[in-house]
Amino acid sequence: MNALDVAISALKAIVILVAVIQVVPVMIYVERKVAALIQDRPGPNRVGPLGLLQPVADAVKFLFKEDPIPLNTNRLLYTLAPFLSLLPACLVIAALPIADKAVLFGKEITIQIADLDVSLIYVLAIGSLGVYGILFGGWASNNKFSLIGALRSASQMVSYELPLGLATVGAVMVYGTYSLREMVVLQDGTLGGFLPNWGIFYQPLGFLIFLISSFAETNRLPFDLPETEAELVAGFHTEYGSMKFATFFMAEYMNLSTMAGMMTVLFFGGWHLPWITDQQVLDWVGSQNLLCLIQVVTYISKVAVFLFLYVLIRWTLPRFRFDQLLHLAWTNLIPLGLINVAVSAVLMYLMRGPA
Amino acid sequence: MAELVPIAILLGISLLLCSGILLVTQILGPKNPVPAKLGTYECGVKPEGGAHIPFKSSFYLIAVLFLLFDVEAAFFLPWALVYKESLSEGPALLWAMLIYMGLMAVGLIYILRKKILRLT
Repeated sequence: MNALDVAISALKAIVILVAVIQVVPVMIYVERKVAALIQDRPGPNRVGPLGLLQPVADAVKFLFKEDPIPLNTNRLLYTLAPFLSLLPACLVIAALPIADKAVLFGKEITIQIADLDVSLIYVLAIGSLGVYGILFGGWASNNKFSLIGALRSASQMVSYELPLGLATVGAVMVYGTYSLREMVVLQDGTLGGFLPNWGIFYQPLGFLIFLISSFAETNRLPFDLPETEAELVAGFHTEYGSMKFATFFMAEYMNLSTMAGMMTVLFFGGWHLPWITDQQVLDWVGSQNLLCLIQVVTYISKVAVFLFLYVLIRWTLPRFRFDQLLHLAWTNLIPLGLINVAVSAVLMYLMRGPA
Repeated sequence: MAELVPIAILLGISLLLCSGILLVTQILGPKNPVPAKLGTYECGVKPEGGAHIPFKSSFYLIAVLFLLFDVEAAFFLPWALVYKESLSEGPALLWAMLIYMGLMAVGLIYILRKKILRLT
């Protein structure tokens, strides 16, 4: 690896990280506008045209707020918690394959920060580290609301990690690889002539389990038990203010976009347009870089659809009770995940091609 | 090892970013600590007792169960990786995994029958 490669990696890392962080203000705006639409009120409309500058105003306000550390807190863990929450959210995006490759200065550049062989396991492993930030924050705040919120959050996140993992096992079986990039490459073309060759048509139940678990993993409604406003004030970040609070917020939205990206990659063909192979697009536009641009736009549109689904569900469904939430994971989703793996295995054996 | 270099770079950038935004607000924000602001928030009344109250042991059990089942589920991943290639060699791998899955299901049924998850 020479200096040019390192420079390219650094540039890719910065560009993709900044792009993912840009999801946060956009999502805050969309969330508030959709909430307003559903609750029949105008929503943010004072700052800038249509209130478009509202997230910027929020960010600036967060930066200029006082950042006190309450007495009676464990100062080290209290300061460390927002850090530990945002860091995994930043790291996990390294494995997401956004597009195939561009050719710049005579070099092929893959639009993915790190092309790991085990990127699926990397995402699952790093993604689950976020629970430490929440647990530390809740415990160190020395507040009953925070402690209960953190406990709920931890048990919810570990419970839903199992169905999430089992749903990805189904996808790994179908593709026969851990590499997210190779999975996307395998989803090119059509299935049976009339369907896109996407993972959801091989693993419909797996996708459903993954979708439900991703709501719980990111602490979103209907599973936002860690921060139920009505009963726990704000849950694990009750004692946090200023930018520390905003950091938890950013981590939540970045995890959301990672989950949406994972669903796109595992079940919805990643950067592929439906029914059209990469080769056809390449023949039409005639340039690898243009193809790469089309792939990036396709990927982002698919992620945006999932993010919008998260927002819609947040503002339409009521919240679960905590024991119902755990029951859903242990008595429904985990057995369903096991059944999904078993049925897929048997079906793959019965429908195996000639050796 | 070469494919880990970009992750190290990303780690460095993320560390800078995280510490940067947390430091900037320390510098920019006003500093006016008063006792009421630094107290524990409990709906505006004086906090009652310590915050690190005993909590239900079910939370601990869920953590232990997660550990067990996550290790069990982790064994699926290497199996899933080679399963597609092994299809031509007969159903040995399929049977092995179905038996293993049966054992896992017995454990799951046991903990559900024990009503460990009942939090009320």
